[in-house]
Amino acid sequence: MNRQLWFAICLLVAGLAWAQPKTLPAYTNLGVSTGKAGGSLTLALASAPQTFFYYGAIDAAIQNLANQMFDGLIEYNLANYQIEPALATRWSISENRIYTFELRRNVRWHDGRPFTADDVVFTYTQIVANPEARGGDAANFEGVRVEKLGDFRVRFTLPKPAPAFIHYMRLPIMPKHKLLPFSQEGGKPRAEINTAWPTNVNPEEVVGTGPFRLRSYTPGQQVTLVKNPNYWKRDAAGNPLPYLDQVQYLIIPDSQARVAQFLAGNLGQINITGAEFPDLKRRETQGGPFRVVQFRALFGSPPHIGFNYNAKNPELARLFSNSEFRRALQFAVNRERIIEDVYNGLAERASYGVAPISEWFYPEVVRLQGRYDLNAANAALDRLGLARGPDGIRRLPSGRPLEFTLTYGSNSAVFSAIATILQNDFQRVGVKVNLQGILAANLLATGRGSDWEAILLALGDQPDPELRTPIWKPGGALYYWHQATQPTTPGGPPQFNNFLPWEREIYDLWERAASTTNFTQRKALYDRWQAIAAREAQVIMIAKEYAVGAVSNRYGNYIYSLGVIPGYNPLVLLFQR
Amino acid sequence: MGIGVFILRRALVALPTLLLISLLVFTVIQLQPGGFLENMLEDPRVSRETVEHIRRQYLLDQPAWVQYLHWLRGILQGDFGFSFLNGRPVSELIWERLGWTVFLAALTLWVTWLIAIPLGIYTALNRYSPTSTALNFVGYFGLATPDFLLALLLIYLVLASGGTNVGGLFSPQYIDAPWSWAKFKDLLAHLWIPLVVIGLDGTANIMRQMRANLLDALSQDYIRTARAKGLAERVVLWKHAVRNAINPLISLAGLQLPTLISSTIIASIVLSLPTIGPFLYDALLNKDQYVVMALLMLSALLLMVGNLLADILLAWVDPRIRYE
Amino acid sequence: MDRRNHPLYLAWRRFLRSKPGVFSGLVLALLYLMALFAGFIAPNNMTVQHPSASYQPPQRVYFWREGRLVRPYVYQLRRERDPITFISSYKEDRNQPTPIRFFIAQGEPYRFLGLKTNWHLFGVAQAEGYFFPLGTDQFGRCLFSRILVGSQVSLTVGVIGVLISFALGILLGGISGYYGGWVDTLIQRTTEVLLSIPRLPILMALSTVIPTSWPSTYVYLGIIAVLSFIGWAGLARVVRGQVLALREMEYVTAAVAQGASNLRIILRHLVPNLSSYLIVTATLALPGYIIGESALSFLGLGIKEPMASWGLLLKDAQNFQSLSLYPWLLTPGLLIFVSVLAYNFFGDALRDAADVRSRD
Repeated sequence: MNRQLWFAICLLVAGLAWAQPKTLPAYTNLGVSTGKAGGSLTLALASAPQTFFYYGAIDAAIQNLANQMFDGLIEYNLANYQIEPALATRWSISENRIYTFELRRNVRWHDGRPFTADDVVFTYTQIVANPEARGGDAANFEGVRVEKLGDFRVRFTLPKPAPAFIHYMRLPIMPKHKLLPFSQEGGKPRAEINTAWPTNVNPEEVVGTGPFRLRSYTPGQQVTLVKNPNYWKRDAAGNPLPYLDQVQYLIIPDSQARVAQFLAGNLGQINITGAEFPDLKRRETQGGPFRVVQFRALFGSPPHIGFNYNAKNPELARLFSNSEFRRALQFAVNRERIIEDVYNGLAERASYGVAPISEWFYPEVVRLQGRYDLNAANAALDRLGLARGPDGIRRLPSGRPLEFTLTYGSNSAVFSAIATILQNDFQRVGVKVNLQGILAANLLATGRGSDWEAILLALGDQPDPELRTPIWKPGGALYYWHQATQPTTPGGPPQFNNFLPWEREIYDLWERAASTTNFTQRKALYDRWQAIAAREAQVIMIAKEYAVGAVSNRYGNYIYSLGVIPGYNPLVLLFQR
Repeated sequence: MGIGVFILRRALVALPTLLLISLLVFTVIQLQPGGFLENMLEDPRVSRETVEHIRRQYLLDQPAWVQYLHWLRGILQGDFGFSFLNGRPVSELIWERLGWTVFLAALTLWVTWLIAIPLGIYTALNRYSPTSTALNFVGYFGLATPDFLLALLLIYLVLASGGTNVGGLFSPQYIDAPWSWAKFKDLLAHLWIPLVVIGLDGTANIMRQMRANLLDALSQDYIRTARAKGLAERVVLWKHAVRNAINPLISLAGLQLPTLISSTIIASIVLSLPTIGPFLYDALLNKDQYVVMALLMLSALLLMVGNLLADILLAWVDPRIRYE
Repeated sequence: MDRRNHPLYLAWRRFLRSKPGVFSGLVLALLYLMALFAGFIAPNNMTVQHPSASYQPPQRVYFWREGRLVRPYVYQLRRERDPITFISSYKEDRNQPTPIRFFIAQGEPYRFLGLKTNWHLFGVAQAEGYFFPLGTDQFGRCLFSRILVGSQVSLTVGVIGVLISFALGILLGGISGYYGGWVDTLIQRTTEVLLSIPRLPILMALSTVIPTSWPSTYVYLGIIAVLSFIGWAGLARVVRGQVLALREMEYVTAAVAQGASNLRIILRHLVPNLSSYLIVTATLALPGYIIGESALSFLGLGIKEPMASWGLLLKDAQNFQSLSLYPWLLTPGLLIFVSVLAYNFFGDALRDAADVRSRD
């Protein structure tokens, strides 16, 4: 044996002695047991990665991969979504706006360089707060001062209290020694950071602290990750994690093809939809070598119907901005049937921006949203003076028939089906709906434009309502259904004169919640908001789909993961039997 | 007129045509709403300011004609533009995918013609035999089934019979492996599904047309004259009839070159093939405009080359045709 | 002239000799009759949803009861959901047979030849239950009725599309090949422009331009017009190639010498020589339109819910769960196949009949 190798071994032993590993909870309630090291797993990516730099694009593929290659300062508990230490071992909050983090010692980047406070400061100042970084988060870090207080201590000073700020600490930390040449600190224009680690980068360059590191990328076909032998997590029994030696991602754009590859045994695990559940579950009961499991997830996007309060047709705009009208139509939305027939029973009633299992969920919304009742819908529409014409369609005050266009994603089986059911039920209360299918990829853009009347859209739930401020706070960038409230210039104040009275109320609730740090008080404010949203039928929420996954029997310790949420990574616990 | 002058003249005419096509394509792209910038906003990380920065950075805040001229200037300097989504030059990205695309398309074209022409001749000569009828049935099935469903049915059958090769070009363990006999066999085991899905339509088409053309040719006067002169039936058939029957198909073949890029989109998506098809599709959905421009211009160029080749071939096969 | 020597009569005789051709002709006639009388034959309203009958399999028709031949009847099905797999399964309610009645007047009236009527060929009395001969879709709509009404779209879309594109293709291709020179260059460059832009981006752009308030049928006709306007280019190339070859033939030279007009020469002397090729190409192009229309709905173009077409109905079957749990959704595919077969065999027979020189 040569001297270099001896030296390396000594270093390793010394490193282990000094290491500061995190031992994961036992998670017995999730069915987790001590796994076996070795083996490999093949997963699917729905699209080819656009870059290997997490902050270089908003791209589901790199979000998936980054969860395996990088870590944030904090992460979620896999069972209850409580925040736990990750690269930070502990932290303190003073004056509600000064966050001080103690960093984990002896964590190494994949290339062996030590992880220090410099990397954290670099990541947040040069990348996250960089307004030109395409996947950055500049808006939430405006005025935030990030300082190094020592090699393993970092302080964030906020201009004002922001109770959801801690959630941003899930963002993956990047290696300063690799990315400095692309940064402003390294002498480059700010936009240059986006060119770091393109997909043809040498895999050796892409280093993180995560459980796996990049080994290779074959364009359009697959990404291969290999185990990081020096990872800083341990299982409850003290064994090093991750268990798996290798994770391969096949690029399979079509969901049917993913199911096929899973059934053929080429994929170890897939996420599926409620529509696909019965077929796969039946195959399982007939002896298929896999398990199909359903979970209630914190994330995911429940669809809603948005009405354009500023529709081009002034008569429709008046109706759409009238809560009475939206409530009337809400009575004609048969959520039970949609859950039954579209989701195969694998969905539940939804609230606004927060999942039913979230601690922020206000259970009363289900009652306030009301139930399917065509008589109530008809009565309410009659009260609005919308009498039926001879063809059964109601008439607007001008005498024109009450009809509007409902825009939906034509290439989504779920959206098409919901649209068809809605059209049918609205017709029964004398409201004619013209369906307009567009590519699901263009839905949000269409909604943010002015050329629509009603739309079927799905926006994601987050663990803290604060993270969805742009959607639910009147005047926000994604408060698309009432665009007259939005600022005339980006960054300017909302147009308060166009607010409806209850919108003003919601706005004030959000303002107060944003600077309240006491959980109980915040919860009360957000409960109140959800109650108003439901009462006014701000938008008509439809249903929240359960998360469904299928996993081959070759693997143990399976916990569902959406894959793209930073700070939620159960893959380290998965092992091959 | 010599063939060299002919080619040169065609090339000169092609330039304004290409320019016109590029203008049309650019307009068509601009007509679409949405794009990657709009969709970024759904992510809680992205603010409106960031989107505005990117818009400026990529000149997307400029009027469309400025963007077009910018693109045109790039082309003249040999720069095909930049992919917004991938943050890399378009030419690199196309190059990465070109190999498998050309391989698959060329193989499909070749196999299609190799099978279809003889089958067309066979079904023409044995019009009412059971084999001909069976062949026609298979062909019609291919024509009547959407690519997506055909792929799905094949995958379903493979799965039902216990097979595992249900997509892609290789099993996962061979994708990164160096070439070996085992890898080659693995490729062959995967290749037949894409070949059938992409090629069945074309095979049926060419077979049917070849059959009709040959039947036509066989009843022409010059064939009867040839037979009357006592030429061997084999000579009559192959030298005269088949040669004449193939003429209309040559014009058709010229049109098939651009299918390299666009016609395999659906099959490539459902079969997870690493070709340009899904790449173009993504670019279209996200309005990654310079990628779309580059690919569509490439397709136009291929079409013109195909047409030119077909015209030259036409003259070669059929001496009656002159160029003016 | 003796009626027996009239070319049309001879062609008719040749056509009748082709058994598959005659049979296909009958099948096509039957299909078009079904499309024409769709409202009458359909037992249910194609747009009415039955929430309790989502993905109901076809109901079996019984003819015998207690060993005796009786009026055909069906049993009503009751939905049950498997608690583990969540599969909806349907059980026959054996207590109450529901007789099938013929020529019953009930349900929503439909229009036929300007008449408003609600007579149906068959069905069960509304008070007694439902009869879904081919099962239902996800929303519990009668698939059989939807197929019938959908045939009105699918059986016309191809024919109209082929007519438009062939008229354009033959005329422009013929002119291009016959005249040569700058006309040829102009037309050929135009075809290149048209052919070089893939359909997908054009359709995507169209989907944003077409007003949403347009009724389904307008959109559909508009799209066919656009598709066939793009579609003529390929044909024009082929026709041109043929005409290039044919115009040097003696009979064309002779016609020119006799002072025949150019258009006449193209249409009377050159195009008939292509008839065989054209018939085959036309029958081959038909399925493209029938299926292609379903691809449009993916982009939100073409036929919209709750209207139906075969292509659109077949789309529901294009996933694993349908193939294994709801295979009856494939019936529209079967009909597309049958109609494509019929068109092509019919085309073959037409080709043989039109082939004057054929000696066999």
